[in-house]
Amino acid sequence: MFPFPTVIRVFALALAAFAPAFAHAASVVKTEHVEAELVADKAWAQPGKPTLVGLKLRMEPQWHTYWKNPGDSGLPTRIQWVLPEGWKAGEIQWPYPNPLPVGPLMNYGYEDEVVLLAELTPPASTPTGGGAQAPIRARAEWLVCKDICIPENGELDMVLNVSSAEPAANPRWQASIERARNQLPVEAPGWKYESALRGKTLVVRMTAPAGSAPPAQAAFFPERENLIEPAAPQKVSRDAHAITIEMRLAEPAATSLASLKGVAVSESGWAGSGGHKAIEVAAGASAALASAAAGSVASAGSTSAGGSTLAALAFAFVGGILLNLMPCVFPVLGIKVLGFVEHAHGEARALRMQGIAFTVGVLLSFVALAALMLGLRAGGTQLGWGFQLQSPLVVTLLATLFFVLALNLSGVFEWGAFAQSITASFSAKGRYADAFLSGVLATVVATPCTAPFMGAAVGFTLTQDAAHALAIFATLGAGMALPVLLLALFPRLLKRLPKPGAWMETFKQVLAFPLYATVAWLAWVLGAQAGNDAVFALLAGLVLVAMGAWMYGRSLHAPGLWRAAVAAILMGCGLLVAWPGPNAAAGEGGAPRADELAWQAWSPEKVAELTAAGKPVFVDFTAAWCVTCQVNKRIALHNAKVIAAFASHDVVALRADWTRQDPRITAALASLGRNAVPVYALYLPGEASPHLLPEVLTPALVLDEISRLPAGSTAISQR
Amino acid sequence: MRKLAIFLSAALALPAFASAPAGQPAPAFSATDLAGKPVNLADYKGRIVVLEWHNFGCPFVQKHYRSGNMQSLQRKYGADVVWLAVNSTSKSSSDYTEPAKLASQLRGFDAAPARYVMDDAGTVGKAYGAKTTPHMYIIDPAGKVVYNGAIDDKRSTDVADVKTAKNHVAAALDEMKAGKPVSVASTAPYGCSVKY
Repeated sequence: MFPFPTVIRVFALALAAFAPAFAHAASVVKTEHVEAELVADKAWAQPGKPTLVGLKLRMEPQWHTYWKNPGDSGLPTRIQWVLPEGWKAGEIQWPYPNPLPVGPLMNYGYEDEVVLLAELTPPASTPTGGGAQAPIRARAEWLVCKDICIPENGELDMVLNVSSAEPAANPRWQASIERARNQLPVEAPGWKYESALRGKTLVVRMTAPAGSAPPAQAAFFPERENLIEPAAPQKVSRDAHAITIEMRLAEPAATSLASLKGVAVSESGWAGSGGHKAIEVAAGASAALASAAAGSVASAGSTSAGGSTLAALAFAFVGGILLNLMPCVFPVLGIKVLGFVEHAHGEARALRMQGIAFTVGVLLSFVALAALMLGLRAGGTQLGWGFQLQSPLVVTLLATLFFVLALNLSGVFEWGAFAQSITASFSAKGRYADAFLSGVLATVVATPCTAPFMGAAVGFTLTQDAAHALAIFATLGAGMALPVLLLALFPRLLKRLPKPGAWMETFKQVLAFPLYATVAWLAWVLGAQAGNDAVFALLAGLVLVAMGAWMYGRSLHAPGLWRAAVAAILMGCGLLVAWPGPNAAAGEGGAPRADELAWQAWSPEKVAELTAAGKPVFVDFTAAWCVTCQVNKRIALHNAKVIAAFASHDVVALRADWTRQDPRITAALASLGRNAVPVYALYLPGEASPHLLPEVLTPALVLDEISRLPAGSTAISQR
Repeated sequence: MRKLAIFLSAALALPAFASAPAGQPAPAFSATDLAGKPVNLADYKGRIVVLEWHNFGCPFVQKHYRSGNMQSLQRKYGADVVWLAVNSTSKSSSDYTEPAKLASQLRGFDAAPARYVMDDAGTVGKAYGAKTTPHMYIIDPAGKVVYNGAIDDKRSTDVADVKTAKNHVAAALDEMKAGKPVSVASTAPYGCSVKY
């Protein structure tokens, strides 16, 4: 530690003699790309007590120095303290690193400014009287790199006052020290850590203390070099209690790991850590964690996170229940419940069977849809949940279906004889078939409504094998069927509803309006996919369908085969007119307006390019058919304050439009652990993984997120 | 089911950067040298091949050339091995040097690699997962990678460290010469990042 003790002692004595001249005169070393100086936390040191000092390095923009594990290349900064006799220096305390991508490689380090802290302890015998001072010197060596690397060094000195009084703050460097201290990884009380090797994957699982939730996103930086492949994306999965990070091991892959040390960083902080973004992780090897996914490791080294399956199932179940409240599902269920009310006085057993038939209908259709999606994905098509709505034909058919249902509810026609002849709905069997079909119908209409909880659950399924995925979808269905099933199993609940009567007719007619609204929205989706002409064709087709429905309604009252025939022909013509042509073209809206964000088209390259240029980037993964997305855009994004905040913080807004399928967006969503929109991602310069915002946005939430950014791009360099 | 799972996990794990860990067959490559002549790894089957990732712009490389360390290794083992220096510096990097200038720099340092491979497209580097300059590989006569890692155990740019460092490449080549297996077959490479 003290290579030249004698020289230094002499030097120290000499310095001490001239101390007044050097008092507080920390010399600053300026090299080609770095400005270095020593900084002190307190105005004076106390004998026998550690005091915090630091090496502050200010790098030129885009140049970086390295963390203790520099990643794929580079060199950690070194400090050699040269101290008065008896003084002790502690190890470097490293602020948490940033991932710094260099082409296909990854470094861990710091841009702009870093303060490497260390504790210095004067001996208890240090004289204190009469303005006592101690010369502190440090030889620092650092490698600073951008496109090229330059080894630099500096000999720095500083004079520390020594006094027996309780040390006072040192305003001169307080901001720098405080920032560094906040970036030091802390020990988060109550957190538990486990690690394991699974084939070529390193898994670390961090379990939050009871009653707290883990953050949604985190990155792990191992202390040991060459343990993981730093550039390989880290896979993060999370359940109610724990967050699990999977990393690709560097070749040759480690085969045993007694314990894992490192730093976990999350933008949203860690419960109980006092707002710190980084925590120190020391994880023992866990056999349970290693075997949690042994099954999937056997099959292609898939990387499923053991404990989170249950959480995903729970989310799926809750998400399913919430689906019932969606504007497109609610009317269908409303009708079903009305049916129950009508039959509430009938046989309890028949009612129960209907409830079960409905549930089976929902479950089977969910599983069938999931199987279809998985099958298509296996066939190489990049699909995600909601894929059904990426086809203009499906949108057209759904719009027509909703429209006919709505006309029925409005009383334009009754299913009447037509339906009777098909399902013989007055027989018990017919009613079961009817219940089953309404289950199928409810599922079909539910698919566009990605409830907030569903995004995470559906995203999770795609990281799982097919059996898991199907189980999750079935659970989603079970959640959705639950309210109706409960009503059917416990008819007493129905008695709480008003007695059957005229209100039911009114209620039914009211239910028509959410359906009309759904049609309007589907028409707009179709417009975004296939252009204005397709919307006109759809609307014209719907007029014919309406005429057909009306004619059919009339035919029931004035029997005559010709009316039914004309009705059928009109309906058929309506569909034919509405049927979207093969070359339906997309039409993008005009220039950006003042009350909107200046959206630009998204591409992964664009994100990389902008963040490399030091700009924060906000990405809206959206689709015209996603209701939540549209609501968020209107309420939270196209808000005057939000638009102003975006402008003042120089945030670039990119829109990734998933209205029609786009494999690149699907891949980007997958890399974020999602498989459905909306997803809102804020990419910050120098941070590899974006910060994800919740699926349901409020202006306050977005403003809060933006306000954490430094104002204007120049402030990022903290100069 | 299993196929589906394989597909799903494969679809999610984006292919990035390959690697050539010790014990695995060395990825084949064909490239051109400074003079534009073809260099095929396959041509050296039956001989020991050393790959040295190189970039004179990098202070870590400079350390081993200023000290004469790399040149003396190239000369010492030159009779027994095929020493290929590989430069994967992209044309867009400020470290990129034209072949003619590189040739004169190599002469200036009295360097003696058997061939100097120009890989400015980064194909060879990415196939091997070369991360740093220098990053060293040894390929045995059967075409298997037997060493992958750093040149020595002193990670620094300080020329003085060369004398006291343990040279992993020399140790491995000596062991191979003596018919022994390579005891330290992989280490963490150190240096500047390869400027892909």
